[in-house]
Amino acid sequence: MTALLEIEDLKVTFNTRYGQVTALDGVSLHVNAGETLGVVGESGCGKSITALATMGLIPMPPGRIAGGSIRLSGEELVGANPSRLRALRGADIAMIFQEPMTSLNPVFTVGDQIAEAIMLHQKVSPDQAFKDAVALLDRVGIPSPDARARDYPHQLSGGMRQRVMIAMAVSCRPKVLIADEPTTALDVTVQAQIFDLLNEIQRDFGAAIILITHDMGAISEMADRVAVMYAGRVIEEAGADDVLDHPQHPYSRGLIDCIPALGREDHALKEIPGVVPPLHLLGDGCAFADRCEHANDRCRREKPLLAAHGHHPAACHGVEEGRI
Amino acid sequence: MTDTPDYKAESPALEAWRMFRRNIPALCGVAMLTVIVLATLYGTFFYSGDPFDVVWAPHEPPGATPEFPLGTDYLGRNIVAGMLTGGGPTLAVGAAAAAITMVIGISLGALAGYYGGWVDNLLMRITEFFQVLPALLFAMVLVTLFSPSLWTIAIAIGVVSWPQTARLTRAEFLKIKELEYVTAARAIGARNKRIIWKVILPNAMPPLIVSATLTIGVAILFEAGLSFLGLGDPNVMSWGLMIGANREYILDAWWPVTFPGLAIFFTVFAVSLIGDGLNDAFNPKLRER
Repeated sequence: MTALLEIEDLKVTFNTRYGQVTALDGVSLHVNAGETLGVVGESGCGKSITALATMGLIPMPPGRIAGGSIRLSGEELVGANPSRLRALRGADIAMIFQEPMTSLNPVFTVGDQIAEAIMLHQKVSPDQAFKDAVALLDRVGIPSPDARARDYPHQLSGGMRQRVMIAMAVSCRPKVLIADEPTTALDVTVQAQIFDLLNEIQRDFGAAIILITHDMGAISEMADRVAVMYAGRVIEEAGADDVLDHPQHPYSRGLIDCIPALGREDHALKEIPGVVPPLHLLGDGCAFADRCEHANDRCRREKPLLAAHGHHPAACHGVEEGRI
Repeated sequence: MTDTPDYKAESPALEAWRMFRRNIPALCGVAMLTVIVLATLYGTFFYSGDPFDVVWAPHEPPGATPEFPLGTDYLGRNIVAGMLTGGGPTLAVGAAAAAITMVIGISLGALAGYYGGWVDNLLMRITEFFQVLPALLFAMVLVTLFSPSLWTIAIAIGVVSWPQTARLTRAEFLKIKELEYVTAARAIGARNKRIIWKVILPNAMPPLIVSATLTIGVAILFEAGLSFLGLGDPNVMSWGLMIGANREYILDAWWPVTFPGLAIFFTVFAVSLIGDGLNDAFNPKLRER
């Protein structure tokens, strides 16, 4: 069975003042209809670039898709002509952004903005589009949607705005919904509501969701499968429970250890030492080697490949050798 | 789920108007400009008379003859009639020139700022070319090349003053195109044309409106300057023409030059007050909640 969205060996490079750097180095992901794929990693791991590449929104230049393919229901998107991509954006693939505060246009009412999104892809009258927009606002749980549709973004709270963004994203019933850290800017109680809403939307619309996050809690709540990314590569991929209960890669273990637990004896928050290395300084070895307590000479010399060694696929020499 | 009927949505424009309404100097500017515009539009209705007609002895001082409250000029032409009929062309040229400036400046600035790269480079070099030419000299050349009429004067002023608007628009576009709602608009499948005109431009409007207002003032001064130099339309009475025609006799009679001069001064002053008021109204930092 072919997946709804298949990303295969995707390479994205950027021209920077340090020369050409590789932001995505052979990323392969897939997501099936009705499934939620969680993509985790710290800032700078290439999660958002993967999302933008899928939307065809990599700024070119300085960016460039140097290789690989992205297929939506079998249709190749890399190198597809811009007007075809534009027709797909919003209609078949939609995206929810991280910052609901800044992703809405401040000078138009939210109802108008949703209506615009509808009219870009469907032949409906402005009146009908506005009515649809109000119905969508109702669907995403906004109280008195008639009145709120006439509000400007600054009059709504962060949670409300993210609901508006979700309404806009699902307005044309996309097959794939990419949520790029949809709750990072919201407070915790609102986060849970947004996740519930995304789950409902997925049930109703049957969309595949790619949830990009650095929050393992979000993953456990939402994802069916998880791909862990580090420095532009997928380093571990498996079912959500497999990754959460039996993380293979030391980086995944680190991420899971970082989840603060209430009632835990030691109050110190765990952390992974160091930061993601800047892309222009990546050497030949494993990108995580400098931060890994299990790293040996081979790790620093040779890049590990994603392969099933233990419980499920991970890209780690230590796992392969049975050291970890 | 309760409805809140007393809670009214307020558009950014409405909010700006609320701020503007509280700005006393700006309101004075509006009042002054209204009086001036009404006087030039309807003044001749109450006080008729051809401004080119010689009606009395030359250099009759103001107040000496009740029929000619502001006196007469060096040919014995009625100054009140000149003031009332001369305002219209001056204001019209100012407004038309400002409109031309905004159309050229916003179009080129928007394209340069949005597309960047070679488009930006090309358009900005053209802009710089126009910017380094001395504006008044260039306008004089344009007006003399094509016979002076209100239209050619307005076009000449527009052609020499768009570069600043283009730069301002470009700067706004460079800033706004990086914002997330532009990416979000692209993500719902909007095309470039739509993003430029319907997403970025409305957000770039506040400084551009202020700039347009101030451009009207500058254009009025420009028109007066050209007329003063004798490059105005000689068949149309304007404030600038009155000053230009009477300037040689300023030591014998101050009034034929001073009254149109004051009219220009108050018009430009009013427009500047309005421009400043709009600037304050659009600036969220000066807006109390």
